[in-house]
Amino acid sequence: MLIEMFSYDFMQRAFLAGIIIAILASLSGTFVVLRRYSMISETLAHSALVGVAVGLVAGYNPLWMAVVFAIISAWLIEYLRSAFSLYSDSVLAIMLSGSLAVAVIIVSLGGAFNNSLFSYLFGSILSVSIEDVITIAAFGSIALVMLLIFSKELYFIAYDEEVAKTSGVKVKFLNFLLVSVVAIIIALSIRIVGTLLIGALMVIPTVSALQFRVGFLKTVIISLIFALASVSAGMTLSFYFSLPSGATIVLCVLFIFIVSLIANRR
Amino acid sequence: MKFKVPIFDVKNLNFSVKGQSILSNISFEIFAEEYIAIIGPNGGGKTTLIRMLLGLDKPTNGNIKIYGKKLEDFKDWYKIGYVPQRASLVDSSFPATVLDIVKMGRTSQRGFFSSFSEEDKQFVQDAMAKMDVLDLSDKMVGMLSGGQRQRVMIARALASKPKILILDEPNTGVDMVSQKSFYALLRQLNKDDGITIVFITHDIGVIADDIARLFTINQKATICNNPKQALSCQEMSELYGIDAHLLHVHKHEH
Ligand SMILES: Nc1ncnc2c1ncn2[C@@H]1O[C@H](COP(=O)(O)OP(=O)(O)OP(=O)(O)O)[C@@H](O)[C@H]1O
Ligand SMILES: [Mg+2]
Repeated sequence: MLIEMFSYDFMQRAFLAGIIIAILASLSGTFVVLRRYSMISETLAHSALVGVAVGLVAGYNPLWMAVVFAIISAWLIEYLRSAFSLYSDSVLAIMLSGSLAVAVIIVSLGGAFNNSLFSYLFGSILSVSIEDVITIAAFGSIALVMLLIFSKELYFIAYDEEVAKTSGVKVKFLNFLLVSVVAIIIALSIRIVGTLLIGALMVIPTVSALQFRVGFLKTVIISLIFALASVSAGMTLSFYFSLPSGATIVLCVLFIFIVSLIANRR
Repeated sequence: MKFKVPIFDVKNLNFSVKGQSILSNISFEIFAEEYIAIIGPNGGGKTTLIRMLLGLDKPTNGNIKIYGKKLEDFKDWYKIGYVPQRASLVDSSFPATVLDIVKMGRTSQRGFFSSFSEEDKQFVQDAMAKMDVLDLSDKMVGMLSGGQRQRVMIARALASKPKILILDEPNTGVDMVSQKSFYALLRQLNKDDGITIVFITHDIGVIADDIARLFTINQKATICNNPKQALSCQEMSELYGIDAHLLHVHKHEH
């Protein structure tokens, strides 16, 4: 049965991309959750959608455009936060719905309301091209290297930003770095998971792993396993039932979350 | 005689928020191996003062020098250990063992790529041994008692081998019985390891016998080289704006 699935080229590409995304989303997701940046990842996903809209209408590669728009948005958010202490759910909510509105208008004016857009909203295993896989692997490696190099600093900042700062950690730089890396990962993920659902894949594996109440390294590993399992299972379900892959992936990760909650209830 | 550069050299420090003065005209020096307590009423500006020393809050005007360098130019932050007020109130779901937390103290001295070296390991072990938390190593911090957690936070600060330790109400969560031994531990770090200690406290009674210098902060600072004298009723009344006999009753309880 699985052999049949992998006999399709598009499924091989989708799985390759999916596994890279699972690794990136869960690793960055650990810091996103611990820093309480969940709402930021949601907002960045919608900014990435503006990039997709521009790409679809203007004929540029939507994935590249998504990366560009998500990074600009990430820098804007971090700038508002550090320069004006303007950082609240409401600011993020405004940016989120603003981005969505802009994206919808661009797409409507450009006459691009079609299946292609639908796949960017909810993810699709059918649409992953070889160029997409290369883009995801290239940007993904950069993001992964950044996360690995700075993981101990990011962990310290997540624990206590001010104490980290007073012990000489470059907090400002690393905050920009983290949001930039998260922006890149989100933009890369929308092919498979979709804009409306990527936030869930970043956050839920870590929140599930936190239920086990173990140290940092174990939490990261559990979260990674959960993300890999739900992406693989979700894409398989997507293949056999012809459902949008983002939706099946998120249902799988939700299932893991519920099991984690029950298994660790006190 | 050797010329001594103070660790902190503070001149005419002012801090105000929206035109309202929180701290005014504060000047002092802190030298190596001193043991200093800071007391004062709630909202008096104690936390604000040490946040300025650490570069977390910007003074409205005034000068801070650390080891003779302007604060902005100071780079060796590992020399300064900081344990903030309510440090022990960590989010109970934060994924960290005691060892994870103490290792954080080494972060800025490890290179970007470099792994945890033997030296790092040794410093972490030493810090944990000093604070007597070695046997808690693999416990989750969220599961510890308040006093245990406070010792872990101090171990984290000690792991960078600081020259000075700044603690904001470190005795929070330490029960009455353990308070004396807690301060004895701080004193020991000061005497045996030569670490300069500056701490904010409300337990005037417990510390009175031992401190070398006392800063009293209530908008203005009074620096006092003879703490016993500072604890006289009249000065206390001025500092706290209440009848200080109440405080002395508190003192006799210990
Ligand atoms: N950034 C700020 N913005 C507004 N007010 C501030 C700021 N920083 C300090 N304050 C005010 O300065 C005063 C002193 O606060 P601080 O925390 O330094 O007092 P404290 O002496 O540490 O008190 P406690 O014993 O309760 O810890 C308070 O009234 C506080 O509201
Ligand atoms: Mg305070």
